[in-house]
Amino acid sequence: MDILISSIVAGLLIGMILALVSLGLTIIFGVMDIVNFAHGEFLMLGMYTTLFTAQATGIDPLLTLPLAALVGFALGVACYYGFIRFLLRGPMVAQLLGTFGLMLLLRNLALLLFGSEDRALHHGLLVGKSFELGMGVIIPATKLAAAGLSIVTFAAVWLLMNRTRIGKALTATSLNAQGARYMGIPTSRMNALAWGIGGGSVTLAGGLLVNFWSVNPFVGLLFTMIAFTIVALGGFGSVPGAFFAALVVGLITEIPGFWDFVTYTFDIGWMSDVPMTSFKYTWVYLAYFVIMVVRPRGLFGWKH
Amino acid sequence: METLKNAFDFSDFPRSDLVVAGVLALALAAFPFLSPSSFAMATMIQFFMFSIYGMGWNTIGGYGGQVDLGKAQYVGIGAYTTAVMLIRWDIPFWVSMPVGMCLSVMWSFIIGYPLFRLKGHYFAIATIATSLVLKDLFEVWDFVGAARGLEISPIKYHPPDFLRLIFRDDIYYYYIIFAFFLAGIVYINWFRKSRLGFQLRSIKDNEEVARSLGINVHWAKIKTYAIATAFVSVAGSFHACYIKNIEPEDTMSLDISILIALMAMLGGAGSLWGPIIGAGILIPLKSYLKEWLGARAGLVGIDLIIYALIIMVISAKEPRGIWGIVERVRRRKRRR
Repeated sequence: MDILISSIVAGLLIGMILALVSLGLTIIFGVMDIVNFAHGEFLMLGMYTTLFTAQATGIDPLLTLPLAALVGFALGVACYYGFIRFLLRGPMVAQLLGTFGLMLLLRNLALLLFGSEDRALHHGLLVGKSFELGMGVIIPATKLAAAGLSIVTFAAVWLLMNRTRIGKALTATSLNAQGARYMGIPTSRMNALAWGIGGGSVTLAGGLLVNFWSVNPFVGLLFTMIAFTIVALGGFGSVPGAFFAALVVGLITEIPGFWDFVTYTFDIGWMSDVPMTSFKYTWVYLAYFVIMVVRPRGLFGWKH
Repeated sequence: METLKNAFDFSDFPRSDLVVAGVLALALAAFPFLSPSSFAMATMIQFFMFSIYGMGWNTIGGYGGQVDLGKAQYVGIGAYTTAVMLIRWDIPFWVSMPVGMCLSVMWSFIIGYPLFRLKGHYFAIATIATSLVLKDLFEVWDFVGAARGLEISPIKYHPPDFLRLIFRDDIYYYYIIFAFFLAGIVYINWFRKSRLGFQLRSIKDNEEVARSLGINVHWAKIKTYAIATAFVSVAGSFHACYIKNIEPEDTMSLDISILIALMAMLGGAGSLWGPIIGAGILIPLKSYLKEWLGARAGLVGIDLIIYALIIMVISAKEPRGIWGIVERVRRRKRRR
């Protein structure tokens, strides 16, 4: 029973952080129908930003988050004006491969500058502390803080999208770009803003993630695929959908834990022979495939 | 008979194209006699293999317009079938290659049926997902050597072994893959003029119109996907015999899938020569960049940075590829 509860708790916690990871992808997709392969690389850069700032200045990693968000925002806007703007005119295959090129570029720049070794944070106010909830469930303080801040940021972006003038302009652009242009909305600037918010939110998520996840230049692809799955499940372009889908995907990544639970509770011999932990993320990819085939619109999507 | 005649009939190309193609083919046939370095030889074999991958991709991705980013899974199936059959049961290449092809095609039908209900980005990402699932599976499957992969040790055989395709000298591999390459060109030349080829192009232009003309869109896509798969699988089987050491990471990784699609796009998707031009530029570029820059201390990754910049510039500035430039120049000349 302990395993079951702690798996659920761990899945929900990681799910809340994954929500922030996938938020940017769903906004960018919604606004300009482009799939960003470099999304995970933005996350990786956010992780490095927080890591290096915290190590260099000695302040708590959680205090460096605004800097991470700022770096992501600037990078997102720069990517839009420097590169993505030109891709939008081309066919879909060029867009896919173009953002893949961006991903390769960022990843190998990180490799060139920071080296290929794993780096992790070892200091900070919360590192190493944990709460015990009873029944064997232990929550590391870093994860709890990351999940909490992730929800706060998510809510802030949701409010920005729905309650402000500029957010409404962004939503209008994603619903119908041409119509929005006729209404006098500067759609190109809105696209740049979407990339800025997308980049900023995902680097912020990276800053949260680095508190308990070691970083290397190759960490991005896994998160890109997870984010794709979340966005597909929630519906491409849907912000609240991404949140609930992220919780589901968080639970999916904990399938090995559930597997262990069933194995030990019912004492099924052959189940303990399956190397389940090596399939941890296979379930995520499989989930993407099944979701797309069964319900291509996702849970909350309006686009197909 | 009619089919054969069609396959060898290249007369709808301008004469200049055919002259250039013929000269290049002769140069390729003579290449091993120019005493190239073994590195150049290996690069050329890679070029042929990737041309075949690219030609396969071009059927579904170029003529059909369905962006498939999961071709590496079929490289893996082909390579693993050949390697497993050779190592475990000593079955020669010429038997295991068709078997691998059948397995790949079967797998392509299984996943193709649900896959082609999707379109555009959704399809592209779903192909990546299936490829990654298969790779994860191969990484833990002990029968195929798990993450360590499989190794064909040439000591057990007596090279040159034409049945099992085990040679000590690259020149044999060169001519065998060259023959596959020429056969591939002939097949694609037939394919683009076949009924299915025309159906696909109309699907690419407008799916609704194609459907209203009575084309079974879903089935046409699945059939073409199977053809593309067969191409990739054959070259994958060859890959196993040539490299002799296969692991999931370098036969089935996403980078291979992307490279295949990228080559076809760089050369010009949807044309017979496109993927070949693309492979002819990208493969030597990639391997020489790696040779010159990849191993330098302190510059790890610089070769891939240059490569990434090239990808970005092409996709932003010339998404229709080199063949697109050629055709544009030609049209301008004709207008004058």
